[in-house]
Amino acid sequence: MRYGARGRGSIVGVAAALVLTLTSCGGGGDDKPGSAAKEPGTGPERTAISVGMLPVPDVAPLYIAIQKGYFKAEGLTVTPELMTGTAAALTKQAGGGLDIILGNYMSVFTAQEKGVGKFKYIADGYQAGANGFNVMVKADSTLKSGADLRGKKVAVNSIGNIGDLSVVSSIKSHGLGKGDVQWVELPFPEQAKALDEGRIDAGWLTEPFITYAQKQFGAKTLIDTMSGATKDFPISGWSATEKFIAENPRTIAAFQRAIGKAQAEAAADREEVTKVVPTYTKMDKETAAVISLGAFPTSLSSTRLQRVADLMLELKFLSKPLDVSSMLAGPAQ
Amino acid sequence: MIVARLLRGAVGVAGFLGLAEVATRTGFVNLPPVSDVLVKAPDVLLDPGFHADVAATMTAWAVGLALAIVTAVPAGMVLGVLAPAEWAVRPVLEFLRPIPSVALIPLVMLVLADDLRVKVAIIVYACTWPLLLNTMYGMRDVDPVAKETLRSFGFGSLAVLGRVSLPSAAPFIATGIRLSASIALILAVSAELLAGGQYGIGVYTVRAGTSADNVALILCAVLWTGLIGLIINTVLVRTERWLFGWREQLT
Repeated sequence: MRYGARGRGSIVGVAAALVLTLTSCGGGGDDKPGSAAKEPGTGPERTAISVGMLPVPDVAPLYIAIQKGYFKAEGLTVTPELMTGTAAALTKQAGGGLDIILGNYMSVFTAQEKGVGKFKYIADGYQAGANGFNVMVKADSTLKSGADLRGKKVAVNSIGNIGDLSVVSSIKSHGLGKGDVQWVELPFPEQAKALDEGRIDAGWLTEPFITYAQKQFGAKTLIDTMSGATKDFPISGWSATEKFIAENPRTIAAFQRAIGKAQAEAAADREEVTKVVPTYTKMDKETAAVISLGAFPTSLSSTRLQRVADLMLELKFLSKPLDVSSMLAGPAQ
Repeated sequence: MIVARLLRGAVGVAGFLGLAEVATRTGFVNLPPVSDVLVKAPDVLLDPGFHADVAATMTAWAVGLALAIVTAVPAGMVLGVLAPAEWAVRPVLEFLRPIPSVALIPLVMLVLADDLRVKVAIIVYACTWPLLLNTMYGMRDVDPVAKETLRSFGFGSLAVLGRVSLPSAAPFIATGIRLSASIALILAVSAELLAGGQYGIGVYTVRAGTSADNVALILCAVLWTGLIGLIINTVLVRTERWLFGWREQLT
């Protein structure tokens, strides 16, 4: 085998290309957001924080606060990061990858019981309203009430969470329990299609997917799962790890002030929510204007949240009683 | 000749799109019609939000691939030359290699907090194998007579490495890089789908779920990602041909 000048040149070329690739990417690995410390005793300990969110209406106050500069006024730079689900986000948060998340109460309570980490709520976030979480069926479905769900395939976005809890709570009066229904785990965006194709008999949906299922497939509501024992049910709140709260009290207080202002605006004027939702989801303005919205609580109440843990225990989603008040770190009154 | 090839390629693409259009229009496949997706595709490409997502994915791709190259190629060179070292690490390699990288994403999420680091770590892991093995095989494939000849002329081992072994193994290494480039893109998007984050093509897909046209938007994102993969592969194939054309002429 012979090696001409071109052969040697090619090696130099490959090596040069490598060096170039490396130098141009060198700084990429180390820019973890948020580590700048301020002088003690004044502003927030951490000025840059990452906040876990989902592309759902519940998160609207976070974007109201960002877009109106409420965080900036408190000296905070907030980076919203999309979560793929609360359970995955909690693991990430326990490892320090997320500072604050909009955590759904059931996932956080379950994670706390399982020992994934020690979490606390610093502010309430979202509370269910009428027709915000419905069991939907196909237009020509023969199912008439919750009693007909016995042995049927019911889809929820995540098994062992608010979906099956609220469905079980709704069909309890018909003498049905958790084991009387075939649960199928299916993301919200896929459920309407699955219903249409007959792969599932019913789907537990939230907005905007309820609206889409009605418009695109003529699906109808079988049960509003947020009624009776689950009326005005707390859905999610702003949470952090105990460690983060203990180490950054002023950062937390600043976040609470800013998000509190935004929660109050979202609670007072639906228009504020409708305006901001299309900016962080792919929902269009028309849909955002018509979807059923829940409420945006402005205080963190242990009595209200204890309901969640008690119902979870009653329907066997928790194995032992959980004192919710020990998990609250609300704003100083 | 080239025109005929391009023409055949175009016919193939058109035929595929035609079939897909019929299948989706008739409802044989329950997906939005191909023509609807193609009409939406430019909107997605022009969406500034999507640019940030593509940039985030490609940053992880570039950093991960570069790190994998600078670690796995030298390691492969050592293992390819020193047989005892290869015997020693072979059992561990054969154990690690078949572990699906995607299955490691939740574990890496626990250990590394930062999104970019999670993506880079997974990419480096997955790309190590094709790079390492190709480099090892490349080093073993070096003509022993050529090496002996240089040695008998009094050249040292470094000179033999630089003048014979490396040029001879280079096409193998290039193949490893090309394979890794595709794998890195797959894993960057997979990690985003599982771990979320601020930006990324996978993050776009999750966000697109909230749209009334969610299936079409996701298909658009898939289309553009596929095109990025195709461009990367074409560039690398061309580079290989340009660099190692001399080798093909010899064989």
